[in-house]
Amino acid sequence: MENTGDKRTAREIITGYTGPKLRIMEVCGTHTHEIFRLGIRALLPKNIELISGPGCPVCVTPTGYIDEAIWLAKEKSATICTFGDLVRVPGSSKSLAGERAEGGHIQVVYSPLDAEIYAKEHPGEQVVFLSVGFETTTPASCLAVKQAIEDGLDNFSILTANKTMPSAYYALKDSVDVYLYPGHVNAITGTKLCESLVADGISGVVAGFTAKELMTALAAAIIKSQEGKPFFVNAYPRVVTREGSREAQKIVADMMEPCDAQWRGLGVIKNSGMKLRSAYGLYDARCKYQIPAIEGHENPACRCGEVLQGKCKSSDCPLFGKNCTPEHPVGACMVSNEGACSAYYSYANM
Amino acid sequence: MSETVTLAHGAGGRQTSELIDRVFKSHFSNSDLTADDAAVLTPPAGRMAMTTDGFIVSPAFFAGGNIGKLSICGTVNDLSCMGAKPLYLTCSFVIEEGFEMEKLEQIADAMAKTAAECGVRIVAGDTKVAGKGQVDGVFITTTGVGEIPDGVETSGAKAKPGDVILVTGDIGRHGCTILLEREDFGIDAKVTSDCAPLWNCVKAMLEVTKDIHVIRDATRGGVGTVLYEIAGQSNVGVKIDSEKVPVEPQVKGVCRMLGLEPLYLACEGRLVVVVPREHANEVLTTLKNCKYSEGAAVIGEITKEHAKSVVMTTEIGSQTMLPRPGGELLPRIC
Amino acid sequence: MCVGLSARVVKIDKKTAVVDASGAKREVSVSLLDELEPGDYVMVHAGIAIAKITDEDDSESDAVMDELLSE
Repeated sequence: MENTGDKRTAREIITGYTGPKLRIMEVCGTHTHEIFRLGIRALLPKNIELISGPGCPVCVTPTGYIDEAIWLAKEKSATICTFGDLVRVPGSSKSLAGERAEGGHIQVVYSPLDAEIYAKEHPGEQVVFLSVGFETTTPASCLAVKQAIEDGLDNFSILTANKTMPSAYYALKDSVDVYLYPGHVNAITGTKLCESLVADGISGVVAGFTAKELMTALAAAIIKSQEGKPFFVNAYPRVVTREGSREAQKIVADMMEPCDAQWRGLGVIKNSGMKLRSAYGLYDARCKYQIPAIEGHENPACRCGEVLQGKCKSSDCPLFGKNCTPEHPVGACMVSNEGACSAYYSYANM
Repeated sequence: MSETVTLAHGAGGRQTSELIDRVFKSHFSNSDLTADDAAVLTPPAGRMAMTTDGFIVSPAFFAGGNIGKLSICGTVNDLSCMGAKPLYLTCSFVIEEGFEMEKLEQIADAMAKTAAECGVRIVAGDTKVAGKGQVDGVFITTTGVGEIPDGVETSGAKAKPGDVILVTGDIGRHGCTILLEREDFGIDAKVTSDCAPLWNCVKAMLEVTKDIHVIRDATRGGVGTVLYEIAGQSNVGVKIDSEKVPVEPQVKGVCRMLGLEPLYLACEGRLVVVVPREHANEVLTTLKNCKYSEGAAVIGEITKEHAKSVVMTTEIGSQTMLPRPGGELLPRIC
Repeated sequence: MCVGLSARVVKIDKKTAVVDASGAKREVSVSLLDELEPGDYVMVHAGIAIAKITDEDDSESDAVMDELLSE
């Protein structure tokens, strides 16, 4: 910064930005949520575009995954333990909420460890935990499996759809100038990856979640962009270190291995998923129950995929606001409040 | 072994009479409640308000109340929202076979006390017993009649730009209490339901001015849902200041843990009140001096702009739209 | 993607701890962390403490801003 004198606040830097158009993508659903809740968008000048990326596990979970869970509830009478986020996500024919209405046993849990405890307390039930989420959440699933082994449970397994972010950063890099990196993913992975992304021309700022932290991260993105070269800033140092959580990295590496994963709207991305290693096959619901290959059917008119990639706006989708509303979502982006379409729908008047 | 309600108690014979005598007559006793088929009452002189509400709550007993207290508060508060002084109530019970008699007595006792507190009489009742598993414990339906004083005309359609919006206390405690007791989220927080009968608060406000535009009780869907209803019915905008909405720290803590928004948690003893600006201060002071509304606060105003929407001033002084309410409250990780 | 809860550690028992967030308490796993003491602050996600945090509030943001502006 060449300008000297009084130090400007993060807010002044953001609202006073007059440089070239800057596309900032927040890839974390919780960032999207907080940005809306705090009204940060209303502060942004026209030349800053904030894009909501694919970092909400709900939004990127493919239809077929919900179908697999429903198959387990129906055909195997399994008790499905899930985070609340997934309950309303549409499968090919219905959501888990729909299955519950038809008598399926769907249990909402706060933690994968609670699902393991539920299994321990209900030995007569076959319990399957829906293991979704990114690097932040995956260690919790591993801990649950580890606990089930220690407790000698034979009625607990997980249905994995865990994903990792790095390949998505590459897949979307042409639509973005600066990423707001998901602070809690980096709490696990550390920041070494972000540093190496700089060498590939990808810029980003690790952001926290309070108003001050988000404003600081946006200001950092603006300041560093003006220097004209790829950069990385850790604007969430109270939680994120360079190394991340060694324990978490270790337990995941010990128990899981990368696999190809389907992202709703983005298709299959190579090595972007995590599944249990074969040694843990007894705890992998797909192995344990020999789940048949289920090809999910998405509504062909739904444009969630393009919305996620920033290729079209929610309002460009023919279903938006007509067949697809927060009360009756068709696409995943309408399901959670963080979903790009849901947010667009709720805030359309602003 | 504790005594329980059996199907015979619902068969209409001797045991039914016993149940009625023991549980209901002994608690609800008043001169309008007779053994005849219907209550014979003197109608109120002015306009009359009438409402009905069914109560199913799991668990039936919770911190701060039980389904009995809730069933009186719910109907009394609905009448109060129309500015109507609650006069008469009827109650209808559907009881699951095997329900403990002692619990039923506790429920009846809470109903009697709550009714007495706001001067409403329980004038008729009915009891049915359903087979095991056909209902969950006990379901209660109450119907209420109230008298609207001349000059009082509250309605969700009467909010006008410039009006001031108040809530009568910290929000979301009932919803939070029930969520913690019903779901096994393993959270320990000292939260007590806000369940309370609010006629006396409304009466005190009407003594300040009869010109109160809207009174709504923020039950299912919470304050956020009520604000959207008012914005829609009155075709106005609602603007609130998120920092001014009173929320207990523990409720905030639970919401932070589960990723929930307090504005959508149910209350059973909180009103949203819309008053002309010139009366706002006096109404606020009056509420603060009433039992159950000591924590009243001004949270915002009615605007011409943003019709049918709820806009919120955020902690950083920016503005955002309150997301539209929808569906069941589910904890989230994302 | 990940709701995080910053909370104060109240009690530790081997691999679990009770944390307090504005008066709401819950048992969480601390298997991923070493050397925790009551009074420390942690970031919790889905029932697991994922990081020990240096500050209970976000005042570190000020230092981040200072550094950016002094470069």
